[in-house]
Amino acid sequence: MTFVRSWLTPKKIPAVVAGIFGVVVLVVILANSDQTQAIALGLGGGALIAAIALSITLNYQGSGVVNFAAGAVAMYGGYVYYGLRVNGQLFLPPIPNPLALVEGVVHLAGDKAFSLPHIPVFITLAHPGTGTAAYGTVIQQPAMAVWAAMLISLVVLALLGLAFHFLIFRPLRRAPVLAKVVASVGLFIVMQAVIVLRFTSSAKSVSPILPSSPLHLPRGVRVPEDQTLLVLIVIAVTAGLWALFRFSRFGLATRAASENEKGALVLGYSPDMLAGVNWVASTVLAGFFGILAAPINQSIDPITITLLIVPALAAALLARFSSFVVTTATGLALGMATSWIQLISNKSWFPKASGQALPGLTDALPFLVIIIVLAVRGKSLPTRGSIETVKLPFAPRARAAVPTTLALGIAAMVLLFFVTPVWRLSIVNSLVGMIICLSLVVLTGYVGQISLMQMALAGIGGFTLSKVADAHHIPFPFGPLLGALAAVVIGLLAGVPALRVRGVNLAVVTFAAAVTIQNLIFANPAWSGLKGASVKAPSLFGFHFGPNDPWTKPFSGGRGLLPNPWFGVFCALVVMVLVLVVVNLRRSRIGRHMLAVRANERAAAAAGVSVAGTKILAFGVAAFIAGLGGALSGYRFGSVTSLYFGAIPSMIFLAYAYLGGISSVSGAMVGGFIVAGGISTTIMTNWLHISDQYTLLLAGIGLIFMAIQNPKGVAGALRDGVHLVRRRMGRATPGHGLSSPDDVSPGPLQSATAEAGA
Amino acid sequence: MAVLSTQGLGVAFGAKKAVNDFSLEVGEGQLVGLIGPNGAGKTTTIDAITGFVPATGAVTFDGTDISSFSSTQRARAGLGRTWQSSELFDDLTVMENLQVAAERIDVKGFLRDLVRPRNDDLSEMEAILDSLELTGAAGVLPTDLSHGQRKLVGVARALAARPKVLCMDEPAAGLDTEESQALGRRIRSLVDGGLSVLLIDHDMGLVLTICDYLYVLDFGQLIAEGTPAQIRADKRVITAYLGDRHGESEAEANGMPEASTSNLQEGEG
Ligand SMILES: Nc1ncnc2c1ncn2[C@@H]1O[C@H](COP(=O)(O)OP(=O)(O)OP(=O)(O)O)[C@@H](O)[C@H]1O
Ligand SMILES: [Mg+2]
Repeated sequence: MTFVRSWLTPKKIPAVVAGIFGVVVLVVILANSDQTQAIALGLGGGALIAAIALSITLNYQGSGVVNFAAGAVAMYGGYVYYGLRVNGQLFLPPIPNPLALVEGVVHLAGDKAFSLPHIPVFITLAHPGTGTAAYGTVIQQPAMAVWAAMLISLVVLALLGLAFHFLIFRPLRRAPVLAKVVASVGLFIVMQAVIVLRFTSSAKSVSPILPSSPLHLPRGVRVPEDQTLLVLIVIAVTAGLWALFRFSRFGLATRAASENEKGALVLGYSPDMLAGVNWVASTVLAGFFGILAAPINQSIDPITITLLIVPALAAALLARFSSFVVTTATGLALGMATSWIQLISNKSWFPKASGQALPGLTDALPFLVIIIVLAVRGKSLPTRGSIETVKLPFAPRARAAVPTTLALGIAAMVLLFFVTPVWRLSIVNSLVGMIICLSLVVLTGYVGQISLMQMALAGIGGFTLSKVADAHHIPFPFGPLLGALAAVVIGLLAGVPALRVRGVNLAVVTFAAAVTIQNLIFANPAWSGLKGASVKAPSLFGFHFGPNDPWTKPFSGGRGLLPNPWFGVFCALVVMVLVLVVVNLRRSRIGRHMLAVRANERAAAAAGVSVAGTKILAFGVAAFIAGLGGALSGYRFGSVTSLYFGAIPSMIFLAYAYLGGISSVSGAMVGGFIVAGGISTTIMTNWLHISDQYTLLLAGIGLIFMAIQNPKGVAGALRDGVHLVRRRMGRATPGHGLSSPDDVSPGPLQSATAEAGA
Repeated sequence: MAVLSTQGLGVAFGAKKAVNDFSLEVGEGQLVGLIGPNGAGKTTTIDAITGFVPATGAVTFDGTDISSFSSTQRARAGLGRTWQSSELFDDLTVMENLQVAAERIDVKGFLRDLVRPRNDDLSEMEAILDSLELTGAAGVLPTDLSHGQRKLVGVARALAARPKVLCMDEPAAGLDTEESQALGRRIRSLVDGGLSVLLIDHDMGLVLTICDYLYVLDFGQLIAEGTPAQIRADKRVITAYLGDRHGESEAEANGMPEASTSNLQEGEG
């Protein structure tokens, strides 16, 4: 072991892993030809993974951002092309129309026919022709030539790259890793939401661009020509990038900038310009391959390509976000390995669930690669040499927590009995959302560990409730607790390897874990059924209070209330308990240790704080809370599906929590308020008449905006607002003393210091 | 009997040997100084002793070989340190900074804290703050303090952990002469009270007056050791500080100099 450790220097790892891959592939190829065939069919997917990974690497080199939206960019490019080629239309992202508000107000006033101009959704550039095929069916001819559609798409992608740079990532240059990750997650959400708005989430069929007649290789192996071409193109791009970065001043400057921003200045380039150029190059690259690769499966949908971000991140990570050659080799290898796993999954020895090959193992592969790379390489991963001048948001200690919690909780409970079903449901949704946000406050807000798997852990809670507790007739309060404990186990399993990684790498690990959990468990028909794992309604001492158990008001004699308000009461009780627990956490020694770890790991260690222990504890506590939330969510929906408990929902929940205010309990409250289906969505749909399709879009945009403008979140902004008002009203709270560490007004000592310094 | 000692301590950054075969001893209740020009390897020595860089050789603390201990374990064993650049927990108040160092977490305490956080006895920490003239600062965030005050909070935090040995990395940097002398007296009184200290500082006047024993490093190499009187007289030390190998501008840029070298000469003269 020590020998391996001393021999296996970090620098050798990519080569070693790539070598192992190569040998395995070679052995398999030599073994038999049907396997070779399968591997060959993975080439196209591999090329796309490689292209997305190259795009990630370019971004990282140029601006130090690990772009979680790189897969989404590829998908977006595919759709831009699709819209142009098939319909001759360039779709526009939704642009807020101030007139819509006026319209809404007039509609409220009663004049439903009133209409003001709308911002167009599509710009029509060409009209599809029609032709009559055999048997007299009318078929639609593509509206635009391939080259024209391609050209316009690439221009759009380049503009997008510029926009990303100038509007999002340039303002975030000096922001903490968390803010950058959050912004790229926001971008991911926005791009996906835009596509779903414009094209719906169902798959569209697309016609091929590259010729697809098979190429015949020896031993009867056939490779479709389009896949071969894709691989050749990606190899050419890789060679080009390699040469560019090795020999040109531009490449040298980018490399220099990625080590140390001064380096680029010395070479006469502004780091800012380099970042911009690299953003354009990376979006064009990812989008171009999205366009070319989408037709391989004959269809395009908003999810498939987007989620290739996980293997792409694995490839980029293995290549340390720097070597283009290793990136591409790993990307291709992952594509081929995926397709090989699919082939061997019908072998008798392959892991089975109810006689069916276990799905999701193909997703587990990139996850394994990521875990192994990070575990072996640990701390030696690159951190970019720019100064972070912005910190994580301040984590205030809640004041008057008990009375506030009681007052709000009781108010919510009372409301539940008087509002209409729509509002009752939205209150329940918000309450459940608050629980997930609370779990993120502990892990991300207090300890600074970015988790993109909290909803997957929540799903574990719900799944355990369904499969273990319900199946073995474990009664109510113990079922959810068991679920929460199961989430803790999985959370710790994912958390322990994460001890060696920090910042963005942790986000990568947890996201890969979420995808794996989602596909292995929740989307596995053998375990979760086709409609997800069903969850039985809770009851205590014969009192049924599941959301769908109607409850009749005493003496009312009317029909039962649905959803059952008592379920909401139960959720509110859980939220109140958890709120007080998390508030106490912040006030107690463990909370101080957590914030110490967040602020400065080595100083924490020197103060005798166990950094690893504190992180593990945070992972455990957060997983417990998430698992509990998942169990409640299971009750709420009656089932656990991959739709609600997967990788993308985990991202979205990070967005809500961050938007609300990631480092405070009040932020989690706000986060719950704004979750999809929560109170704010209902306000939007019922009062403002904004379609709930826009919720996600708004959340994504809000997330990016928040990452740039105000890392304290809505709750933080409210706090500052209150302080401001108080000060204006001349009731400034004292600026020192233990009671008010979050006070913004300078206290006597601070002013004294300032004077002394002057 | 030495409470802290190193045997053949070595630290290499790539090909560069930042510390080379360095053995030192800090006796119980002794105040030992570690001096040397910029980049001599002083901070690296403390990092190696407290477990923050991988090192060769051995570190013995309180009779045990702690070379394989993690930095946290060393801290818990009673080996404290301060940092050249304070490294405070900026999200916590000054008092909370001290509390982090003073408190240990156990399972029972953790569960109890979730239900009802305990109000800790803060009197000891208040006393530490008072003794460093930080009385009013308890509820303030470190970011609102002056540089000198931040350094003092760093010292206070290290003291709050009740260490047996304290390694201090330039605690007086950034303090004015008066403050620095006050800090020196405070350190001396801690040592007289039984604490053992390994002190790095560029203020020769301070180091030469309060230390019991001194080690002098240059380019990672021990070039002299002895009592302050012996060090004052040591030719190699004087060349190390005045020799042409260390540019004037570098010394100035690091805020060290002139004054301390002249101190040294005064001392000699
Ligand atoms: N992490 C590191 N990687 C590479 N070299 C380092 C590292 N830390 C320190 N060094 C080098 O090791 C040498 C010793 O540094 P050290 O910080 O110990 O000096 P010092 O005596 O504390 O100096 P100063 O008085 O400026 O604080 C210096 O040349 C420094 O550049
Ligand atoms: Mg130093």
